[in-house]
Amino acid sequence: MTAPAHSPPAPSAQENDAPLPVKRMVVNLGPSHPAMHGVTRAVVELEGETIRAMKLDIGFLHRGFEKSCETVTWGQCFPYTDRLNYVSSIMNNVGFALAVEKLCRLEVPERARYLRVVTSELHRICDHLTLVGAMAMELGAGTVFFFAIEGRDLIWDRLTELCGARLTSNYARIGGVSRDLPEGWADKTLRTLDRVAELCEEIHGLLTRNRIFLDRTRGTGRVPRQDAIELGFTGPCLRASGEAYDVRKAFPYLVYDRLDFDIPVGANGDNFDRYLMRMEEMRQSDRIVRQCFQQMQPGEIIVQDFRYALPPKPLVYGTIEGVMAHFKLVMEGIKVPAGEAYSYTEAANGELGFYLVSDGGGRPYKLGLRAPGWPMLAALPFMTKDALLADLIPTFDSINMIGGEVEQ
Amino acid sequence: MAEDTKPQAAPPPRPAGPPPPKNPGLVTATIDGREVVAKPGTSVIEAARSLGITIPYYCYHKRLSVAANCRMCLVEMSNAPMGKLMPACQMPLAEGVVVKTDTPRVKDQQRATLEFLLLNHPVDCAICDQAGECKLQDYYQTYDAQPSRLDIPKVKKAKRVWLGPLVTLDQERCILCTRCVRFMREVAKEPQLGVAERGTDSFIETFPGQPLDSKYAGNVVDICPVGALTSTDFRFRGRVWFMSSARSICTGCSRGCNTFLDYLSDTSYRYRPRENDAVNQEWMCDDGRLSYKPLNRDRVLSARVGRSQGEKAGEVVPRQAAVARAAQLLSEQARAGRLALLLSPSVSLEDALVTLAVAREGLSLVEAYLGGRPDGWQDQFLKRADENPNRRGLELAAQGMGLTLRPFADLLEAVGAGEVRALWAVGTELPSEGEAVRLAGLTVVAQATNDGPLARAAEVLLPASPHAESDGTFVNFEGRAQRFEMAYFPRGDSRPHWSLAGELGRALGVSQLHASAREAFAALGPRLGAALGDFRWDSLPSVGKRPGLVPLAAGTVDGRLPGYRERVPSEGSEDQRRALARLPQGGRP
Repeated sequence: MTAPAHSPPAPSAQENDAPLPVKRMVVNLGPSHPAMHGVTRAVVELEGETIRAMKLDIGFLHRGFEKSCETVTWGQCFPYTDRLNYVSSIMNNVGFALAVEKLCRLEVPERARYLRVVTSELHRICDHLTLVGAMAMELGAGTVFFFAIEGRDLIWDRLTELCGARLTSNYARIGGVSRDLPEGWADKTLRTLDRVAELCEEIHGLLTRNRIFLDRTRGTGRVPRQDAIELGFTGPCLRASGEAYDVRKAFPYLVYDRLDFDIPVGANGDNFDRYLMRMEEMRQSDRIVRQCFQQMQPGEIIVQDFRYALPPKPLVYGTIEGVMAHFKLVMEGIKVPAGEAYSYTEAANGELGFYLVSDGGGRPYKLGLRAPGWPMLAALPFMTKDALLADLIPTFDSINMIGGEVEQ
Repeated sequence: MAEDTKPQAAPPPRPAGPPPPKNPGLVTATIDGREVVAKPGTSVIEAARSLGITIPYYCYHKRLSVAANCRMCLVEMSNAPMGKLMPACQMPLAEGVVVKTDTPRVKDQQRATLEFLLLNHPVDCAICDQAGECKLQDYYQTYDAQPSRLDIPKVKKAKRVWLGPLVTLDQERCILCTRCVRFMREVAKEPQLGVAERGTDSFIETFPGQPLDSKYAGNVVDICPVGALTSTDFRFRGRVWFMSSARSICTGCSRGCNTFLDYLSDTSYRYRPRENDAVNQEWMCDDGRLSYKPLNRDRVLSARVGRSQGEKAGEVVPRQAAVARAAQLLSEQARAGRLALLLSPSVSLEDALVTLAVAREGLSLVEAYLGGRPDGWQDQFLKRADENPNRRGLELAAQGMGLTLRPFADLLEAVGAGEVRALWAVGTELPSEGEAVRLAGLTVVAQATNDGPLARAAEVLLPASPHAESDGTFVNFEGRAQRFEMAYFPRGDSRPHWSLAGELGRALGVSQLHASAREAFAALGPRLGAALGDFRWDSLPSVGKRPGLVPLAAGTVDGRLPGYRERVPSEGSEDQRRALARLPQGGRP
C-alpha cells in the first residue's frame, strides 16, 4: 500500500518545538449558562485561561420598569417593584413605599414600621442564603445549596402565610402594610429562624474552612476599598472591601435606630470576604427580627387616612364616604404632592434608591431606580481582568447580580 | 359788626373717606397673599380663579344667577360682618379686601359642609352614571376624606322619577343646589322645575301635569354637579371613565354647537356641549344631543354593486372594485351629458371641495344640486330651521370651485324632463323622503353613511364615514368655520367622502387623492379666498375642560385610564406636532 497522495507532510522538528500560538479566543459565557444565573451573557476574551478583556451583555430581563410605573397609579407600582430583586421582593416594596411617603410627608404607624423591618430582614436572609447556596453549588458543593434552599423555603413559607405569595410577596402599602400578622405567626417564625440558624451553622462548617472553597475565593475578584468606593459599590460588597457604610446605621429609617445590631466589615474585598459578609449579616438579621418581636406593640398597621389608604371594606360597602374614597384611590390614585424626592434603603445587595417626581397627580411623573446590583455588575470586567476564567464564576456569584433589578 | 367781619370758623374736618382705589376704575384686593385686580362687581370666586386659586362650589355657575346655597365656597374676608365666613360666589371683590381661602377655619367649614351634604347621600357610586365626573367625589377626596359618623338610617326618597322625555331624577342623590331650577328659569326660559317641601324633605319636582319637556332640558343633566339628574338616553349605558372625548360639532342644525363626542372603541355614546361663547355658550338642544345616534345605527359599512331588489341587497364587493365600477358609470353618463351631482349639505367642507373638484375636472360638470335634510323647528335661542350643518360651507365651496349650486326642485324638474338619467349622490339625505321614488329610475352612484331610500336605489353604493370618523370643517349659518376632529378610525370599509371622491377621481384620471382631510384643505382651501376669514385649519380651540365637571385623572392627557389604547385626542397634540413639523430645525413658534 502506498500513502494517499493528499496526505499532509509530517511536521518539521522546528514546528513541533514552537510555543502555542498566542491567539486570543473570544468565548461566550451565557446567556443560557448555569453559572450565569438570571440571564446574562459575558463575552470573555481569553488568552489561554486568562481573561484579558470582558464585555457584559445584559438586558435579557429588561421590562421597562421605570417607564411602566409612569402609566399606573402610585399604588399599582407595588407589583412592579416585587419583580426588581425578586429574591427579596418586600425590601423593594418598602423602599418604594418610603419614597412615596417621603413625598407625602406621611408618618407611618409604629407597628407598620416594625412589620416592615421584620419582613425586610427575613427577606435579607433569603437573599443571602440564595447567594451562598448558589455560589457553593457553582463551585461544586451541591450540599450547601440544598441546605440554603431549605432555609430559604422555610422563610418563604412564613411569608406566604403573611401575604399570600411565595416569591412575589407584596406586603408594603403607601402608609403602612397590607395586613397584620396571622395568629401564632411570630412563634412559628422564631422556630423557622432557629432552623435557619442551624442550617447556616452547617453551611459555615462546610464552607468556611473548606480547602477548595478557600482556594477558589480567597484573593480572587479583589476590589480594594478605594476602588470599591469609586466604582459606586454599596452593601455587603462595599463592606467586604473595608468601608463600614450601611444605610441602616448611617441614615437610620423605620425603627433601625432602636435595634441593636452590628454591621460586619471585611478587610480584603475578595470573594471570600463577600461570602463572610453574607454569613454574618444573616446572623444580624436574625437578631433584628427577634428584637422586633420583643419590642413591637399591637396597633394600627396603616395610616387611618382615606387620602392614602383604602378604607376598610365594611365602610366601602356601607357608607358613601368609604365608597367615594375607594373609588378615587382606585381610579385616580393617591394624590402625591408635586415635587421630587430621592429615598434610599439598605436592600440585600446595597443601596436601593427610588427617585420620584410627582406632578401632584395620581401617577408618578417620573420614576428613577438606583438598582443596588448595578455598580457591582458594571465593575465585573474590572474585577476579573487578568484573572483565570475559573475565577469569573465565584466573582459573578459573590456580587449577586439579580437580573430583575439591574435590568429593570 | 366786627364779629361779622371776622372770618367764619373753618368747618370741622370730615372723617377721612376711603383711600382712592389703587387702580382707578378697577378693584384691587388680596387673595391668599396675592394681589388681584378685577373689574368692579367681579365675584371673589372668579377673581380667585383668575389667580389659579380653586375655591370649591356646587351651586355656583357662571352663566346662572347666584344662589349661594351650597355653602361650599365660604372664605374669610376682611370686610365680613362680625368676621363671619362669606360665600365667595356671592361677594363681589371690594377695594383693599383681604381674602383667605386656605385657613383652618375655611378648611373645617368645607369639611363640615361636605359631611352634611353626604349625610343622606345614598351609597350609589357603583351604580351611578355620574361616578367619575362627580363633584361630590372630587371634593370629598380633596376637602373631606373623613369616615362617616352617621349612625341613624338615611332619609329615603324616590330613586327614579320620570321628569320628562330625556331626564330621570334620583331624588336621593340630589344636593338641592338648584342649578337646574335656575337654568330652566333663566336660560331655557321655561320654568318647569322647582323645589318642593322643606328641610330634609325637599326635592326637585316638576309642576303637576307639566313634564320637563323643554327642548333644552338635557342641559340640566350636564350642569347637575352630582348624579341626581341623569340622561334617560345615556343612563346605565357605559362608564364615563372608559370613554374618550373628541372635540366635535353637532350636526343637528346649522348652528354648529361645539360638542365633545364621547366614544368607546368605535361606538359613540353621547354628545356633551363644549364651551364656545360665540356659538352655543355651553348649551345644546335635546334634538342635537340625540343626533349622535346615526353614527352607530343603520350604517352602510360595505360597498355594494347592483341595485337592491326587495329584500335582496346588491352584491358586496371590495371598495376598490365598486369605485372602479362607479367611475366607469359616471364617466359614461357624463360623456352623454346625462349625469347630475347631488351634494348633501351635511358633508364637511373638505368633502365638498374634493367632490366638486372631481366633478369639475373629471366629469366636466358645471352645476351641482343641493340635497340635504328638510327644515325642522327653530327658536330664538340655538336651534336653526336648517338641519344641515354645512350649507354655507357648500355654497362657499361651489363658489370657489366655479360650480353653480341649484336647489333640489330643479333636479326633480330635470329628471322629469328626462335631461338627467344618472345621479352621483354625495350624501344621501333628501329634503323629502318621498322624492326618492322619483329618483329611483336613475342610475345612481351613492356615497352614503346611513341606509335610506336613495342608498337602496343605488347601482353602486360606496360606504361613507360620518364626522366622527374623519377630521374636517363645518361652516355654520353665520359663516363661522369650525373644525371637528376624528374620534375613531372609519368603521368597516367606509371612508370619508373626500377620500371616496379622491378614489373616484383617480379612476377618472384626476389627481385629487389626498392623504388626509388636512391635505385636501391645504390643496383646495385657497380657492375659497378670504371667505373663511382668519380661520386656520390647525386651530381647534381647546376650551371647555372645566375642573370638577370634567375631572381629569392625573397624568393622562384627557383623563382616561392607563392601559387605554385608543387614539386619544389630546390638547393640541396633532396641531402641535404639525406646527412643529412646519418650523425650521430648532425653531420656536
